[in-house]
Amino acid sequence: MAYSLSLSLLYLGLLCGNGLVSARGSELFASDPNGGPHFTGCRSREQETFRCWWSAGTFQNLTEPGALRVFYQTKHPLFSEWQECPDYTRTVENECYFNKTFTHIWTSYCVHLRSVPQNITYDVDCFTVENIVHPDPPIGLNWTLLNVSRSGLHFDILVRWAPPPSADVQMGWMSLTYQVQYRVRNASQWEMLDLESGTQQSIYALFTDKEYEVRVRCKMSAFDNFGEFSDSIIVHVAQIPSKESTFPTTLVSIFGLIGVVILLVLLIFSQQQRLMVIFLPPIPAPKIKGIDPELLKNGKLDQLNSLLSSQDMYKLDFYHEDPWVEFIQLDLDDPAEKNDGSDTQHLLGLSRSGSSRVLNFKSDDDSGRASCYDPEIPDPEDMASLLPGHSGRGEQHPLVSRSSSSIPDLGVQQTSEVVETPVQIQPAVPSWVNMDFYAQVSDFTPAGGVVLSPGQLNGSPEKKKEDENEKKKIQFQLVSDGAYTSETTARQFPADVPPSPGPEQGYQSFPTLAVEGNLWNGEYLVSASDSQTPYLLPEAPPVPILPPVSDYTVVQEVDAQHSLLLNPPSSQPTVCSHSPNKHLPAMPTMPMGYLTPDLLGNLTP
Amino acid sequence: MNRVKVLQVWLCCVSLWRFWVSHAVPLDCKDETGSLTHCTSISQEKLLDRVIQHAELIYRVSEESCTLFEEMFVPYPLHALRNQGGNVCHSQPFPIPSSKSEIQQISDKWLLHSVLILVQSWMEPLIYLQTTLDRYDDAPDALLNKTKWVSDKLLSLEQGVVVLIRKMLNEGILTSSSAIEQTLAPYDGQSPEVLESVLRDYNLLTCFKKDAHKMETFLKLLKCRQSSKLSCLSH
Repeated sequence: MAYSLSLSLLYLGLLCGNGLVSARGSELFASDPNGGPHFTGCRSREQETFRCWWSAGTFQNLTEPGALRVFYQTKHPLFSEWQECPDYTRTVENECYFNKTFTHIWTSYCVHLRSVPQNITYDVDCFTVENIVHPDPPIGLNWTLLNVSRSGLHFDILVRWAPPPSADVQMGWMSLTYQVQYRVRNASQWEMLDLESGTQQSIYALFTDKEYEVRVRCKMSAFDNFGEFSDSIIVHVAQIPSKESTFPTTLVSIFGLIGVVILLVLLIFSQQQRLMVIFLPPIPAPKIKGIDPELLKNGKLDQLNSLLSSQDMYKLDFYHEDPWVEFIQLDLDDPAEKNDGSDTQHLLGLSRSGSSRVLNFKSDDDSGRASCYDPEIPDPEDMASLLPGHSGRGEQHPLVSRSSSSIPDLGVQQTSEVVETPVQIQPAVPSWVNMDFYAQVSDFTPAGGVVLSPGQLNGSPEKKKEDENEKKKIQFQLVSDGAYTSETTARQFPADVPPSPGPEQGYQSFPTLAVEGNLWNGEYLVSASDSQTPYLLPEAPPVPILPPVSDYTVVQEVDAQHSLLLNPPSSQPTVCSHSPNKHLPAMPTMPMGYLTPDLLGNLTP
Repeated sequence: MNRVKVLQVWLCCVSLWRFWVSHAVPLDCKDETGSLTHCTSISQEKLLDRVIQHAELIYRVSEESCTLFEEMFVPYPLHALRNQGGNVCHSQPFPIPSSKSEIQQISDKWLLHSVLILVQSWMEPLIYLQTTLDRYDDAPDALLNKTKWVSDKLLSLEQGVVVLIRKMLNEGILTSSSAIEQTLAPYDGQSPEVLESVLRDYNLLTCFKKDAHKMETFLKLLKCRQSSKLSCLSH
């Protein structure tokens, strides 16, 4: 047991020692690598001979030749004793050359570097020959161009070489594998390709305008020791500017452009109308909002009247300088001022108190809607109650105006609306028979009612007044709805209207008013051929409050068409003024629409 | 008494003859069904090529096995043992030429016989190596598979070389591997992974690698001689 153990230990020690000794570098044996003599390498080029080199290191006394000698020992069965180096190379210092006869493959060698006088072994190196084979570099490295890419940017080459002449590959003595490396010239890194057992290899995807270096080296198959690299060869392919490719490109682009142009032209011609609309939009013809020009041409008077009555034709500015205000203010001198104020206050009070019965000023854009169909029209009785009482308060021509400056509390929405709307009077036919065409608002009741001056029942005594009234009516009409008159009519009046004192002072500005009132262009003045209903302003028949004289009527409300709805003189059924045509022959009736020149002529006495 | 002796001799001769005949006749090939059919013949060059391929493969796998074993079990300072080609490799019954000049001088017959001897000498040690590696705790499967593969391929190689010998040399040879006894270090029952056993196995692998290279080289030389005799001999 102890014997076997010792044997095994000895065996182990031998093995380890041998291994340690045989390790390259020989650090453990008597000398350190820095200083002492040691083997620098043993190499075989072709597996038939090999050489060993050594250096004396720092030991200067051993540098002369012969001081150090190489002894070797093989495990060859026949030659197992120490032998000295068969050939110290004369030309190379410190080299020991083993020729063919002394080289045994598959045999382990151990070479010793000794100094004989001292009998010191400085270094030992053990190996087998096939494990120290570093083949020579291949020869005959050349390249051929395989192809160039279509873009002209890349190319492939085939690299060929021949095995080193020293390696007997033909006989099969050595099997070599090769490794090709390449890089862009003067780059730092080499590209390595896979091992190749043949003598050619392809390199793909090289750039055309760059120079490449290619080199190759070899080693024995399944061994690890590469030989030296061969000399590098330069590979360079110039970039060929391909002119032929540009020509078809330009042709294609030209044809493409022509095609596109033709398509565009066709498109434009086919869609001409729509394109004209898009690019050259038609200039909009002037038109009144809500009124169809066709309607004017067709001449449906009813609709036109209804439309126009609901139109908001006057500008706000116009109403700011509304002489109506002046009318009202100037006309009411002593009694007027007081009354105006009272009236205004009454109106205000009225508006405050009787909100439900207040004059319903609405800005309703419903055009064409008859006043009598307006559900918001209060009953005439309500309007009647609004009037606290009235009597002729004098020459007042308070025109009911919705001028916001005078009667703000009445819920004035738009002054223009007020002026526009003709005061629609619900006339009673029989009572109107004896009445003038229009009446003049003479007074303003505290209840908010409009007191109209007595009509021309009697005739001449009132003639002057009637004239005035007429004028005023006309003025009124013009003022209230200046759009409805023509210029001719407007021109007539300024000549006739002298600046009358007192209550007529308000009419001073009539001429201007009339002119101004002609904001409305003559377009809306229907031609004489059209049957126009004369426009009646506050020609309301006298309110039945004073039964015998229905000089005035109470403004019940203002309907949707911004017309002042006045009380009928008596409990008369309200006649819808939608049939102005019917009224036309009966003058006192309440027509809607325009005052045509011929009508005016009829009216003037 | 004489009759008994004659009978014994006759029985012995018959058995020997049968033994000899079974190995000397051309190998019977078995097809898919398992029945024995006459083998299809193959040309000598192709056979030699296949034998060389076998030898190359065996050598490569042995080199990989050696590397695997070295990485796994051998301490780093002892890696240099590899270059030594094995300190104690089992000796051959007759010397095999080891220098190129010597090899060039020997005949084809000696080349083939050398290869055959080498192949046959390694069959048992490889089996032993397999059993040894199995006892390692963390031997990689690749290593085990490779050694097993190698021993299988070695058998095929032996068969191929035998056929080659028969064809090229017109000789019949007993292929029983037990004909040659190998002397090996007896298995002494030590636990594996002790450095000693590790080194021993490492040595075995290194020796086998060297001999595989030798086989490959011999066969390639033989091939060269078969193709162009002049250039191969005159180098």
